[in-house]
Amino acid sequence: MLAVLPQLVVSGIATGMLYALIALSLTVGYRATTVVNFGHGEMVMAGAYALFVFAGFGLSFAPALILALGLLFLWGALTQRVFMRPIISGPHLSLAMMALAIGYAMRGGARLRWGSEVVTLTRPYSQDVFMLGPMVVTMDDLAISGFVLVLMGSLSILFYLTPVGRLVQAVFQSQRGAALVGLNVHAFHAMMWGVGAALGAAGGALLGLFLPLSPDMGVWTLVRGFAAMTLGGFGSFHGAVIGGLLLGVMEKLLGFYINTVFIDITAYLITILVLLIRPAGLFGRQTVVRI
Amino acid sequence: MRLTKIFLTVAAAVATASPAFADNMQGITDKTIKIGNMGPFSGEAAVFNPLNYGPEAYLRYINAQGGVHGRKFETVFADDACNEAKGIAAARKLIYEDKVFMLMGVPCSGVAMAIKPMLEKEGIPWVGPAANPKLTRPTVPAMFHVTYTGIESGQAMAGFAMSNPALKKIAIVEHSNDWAHGYCNPASEYIKSHGGEVLERIAMERGSTDGTTQALKIKSIGAQAVMGCLYQQELIILLRDMQKFGVTAPVIGALGADFDQTVQQVNNPAAVRDKFFQPYQFKAKIGTPALKEFEDMFTKYLTKDELPKAGPPTNFYYFGIPVAIVTVEAFKRAGASPSREKWIAAMESIKDFDTGVLADKINLSKDNHVGVQRMFAVGLDKDGKQTIYSSWGKAQN
Repeated sequence: MLAVLPQLVVSGIATGMLYALIALSLTVGYRATTVVNFGHGEMVMAGAYALFVFAGFGLSFAPALILALGLLFLWGALTQRVFMRPIISGPHLSLAMMALAIGYAMRGGARLRWGSEVVTLTRPYSQDVFMLGPMVVTMDDLAISGFVLVLMGSLSILFYLTPVGRLVQAVFQSQRGAALVGLNVHAFHAMMWGVGAALGAAGGALLGLFLPLSPDMGVWTLVRGFAAMTLGGFGSFHGAVIGGLLLGVMEKLLGFYINTVFIDITAYLITILVLLIRPAGLFGRQTVVRI
Repeated sequence: MRLTKIFLTVAAAVATASPAFADNMQGITDKTIKIGNMGPFSGEAAVFNPLNYGPEAYLRYINAQGGVHGRKFETVFADDACNEAKGIAAARKLIYEDKVFMLMGVPCSGVAMAIKPMLEKEGIPWVGPAANPKLTRPTVPAMFHVTYTGIESGQAMAGFAMSNPALKKIAIVEHSNDWAHGYCNPASEYIKSHGGEVLERIAMERGSTDGTTQALKIKSIGAQAVMGCLYQQELIILLRDMQKFGVTAPVIGALGADFDQTVQQVNNPAAVRDKFFQPYQFKAKIGTPALKEFEDMFTKYLTKDELPKAGPPTNFYYFGIPVAIVTVEAFKRAGASPSREKWIAAMESIKDFDTGVLADKINLSKDNHVGVQRMFAVGLDKDGKQTIYSSWGKAQN
């Protein structure tokens, strides 16, 4: 039984990369506004469908992906500007309900158009399988991991080594203080929701490479992303990444060595345990979360 | 005086002992028969709505021929979204507001089970493709299966695998829901009662995006074949991941997936050729002359929105149509003045009736409301040619 352990870990890391990306996209929005976007799963779904639509116009994968991410950036920013900003000072429950409602509306729209048909994306590469010693690695694993690593590297540079990153930190630490020194906090919120939506859309696009698209595909991504974010620590970029990877590996190990039923409930178990034992997660700090 | 009293007492007793049929002619006029066609027209299970459009095409075809005994069928569609609560509300509207004669369709077993008490109470007839055997076992007066339930399909899955003497150790991969158990429990019982062994029942939940753990489990326990009681998306993932990890055990899938779509979406011939099979409900291959009249019927009588966005009508259209064919046959037999009782009696009189679509002939009786038993299997042979099998390796002519 131990012979499959390396394979489970490698496969878990590959899956965890996707969770990490979605957790990271949730974290970007949260870090900017301290609001968890409970409609974020639908941004993931919309990204996959946007890619499908642009590819349908005859565009090759890369330009279609760029357009899809651009569209979701605009949609994310617009969502924040039109729907969230007017109630941003209201009760936390209103913000959560608004985010949920937007998500449901997007899902309903997708069901209306694609609910009765199964559509798939075409991979821009062949479905090759490689042997890494006794372990199997697919081109999907490599492509997704590579894409996510490049994206994470770019974001790390952006957030930790550039003035934009310092702005993010400043707004996260004190919105009032950032406003006092002349930052346009509202515009910044909208921009960061746009970035979060675009990153979520990238997750959806990657997911669509190996799964048929479905209007409900965002539901599980929100649960996994939220669990990874909780495990890593709210607001922590590297925590979101490590949380995603740990979640991916734990799902595989618990599923194989205990019972496959655990694959589906690991995210929930992690959320419960972390919130009970270490609410700040592995790398987060104790803070008030607006949900 | 005394005789009159006895007569009145007996009449009252007979009246109260009769089923609570509100109106046994409800939905029937001189010119029309109103049918409720309920199914998942929205929601994540909307891919199953061809099971509703298939029978609708046949009713429109019959209407174009002049109807039955001068009456034309009038369909009232209702969306249950494959959700029990919505299904109960939709059925209530069809029965009490639209006052339909009967319900047709309802592909989702959970919804069909949820509305069963209402149908029983009101004596409303139902004929549909929902696979839960509990809908018609034990027999309910007005409910009929003229397509295969989970029992026939599960036994066919296991029977096909075990027609290969080399396949005795079998793993089951299934969703943790009533639908999947409806297929895999009969399959498991069949395997055990025919000298086989169920090595492990492995869960794969709805919405799964990865089948690595399941594939590695199948490999590590040395399963020679797999019963896959999974919906389409999860079946595709399992087939892909089994191929990825070099698991060569053949997979026999349940009827929650469309064979052609599954093969197409796995998008890897090596993962499905001579490896993926499904019970097959039809007498011939879809697209062949034997079923051409039905393809023509779908394309002629269904609208653009009711047909697939691309390609010819799929498996589910054909699987839906026997529901309407048998229903119409019963109306023909029920005569010029049909009532629920006459229609039920007509259904129970159907013997050796060839729908022209299904692999088996319909046989119903007062004690048996499940009309079909025999199934074939479908798969791609080593050359990738879709083949209908009567048993392992033996093509059906």
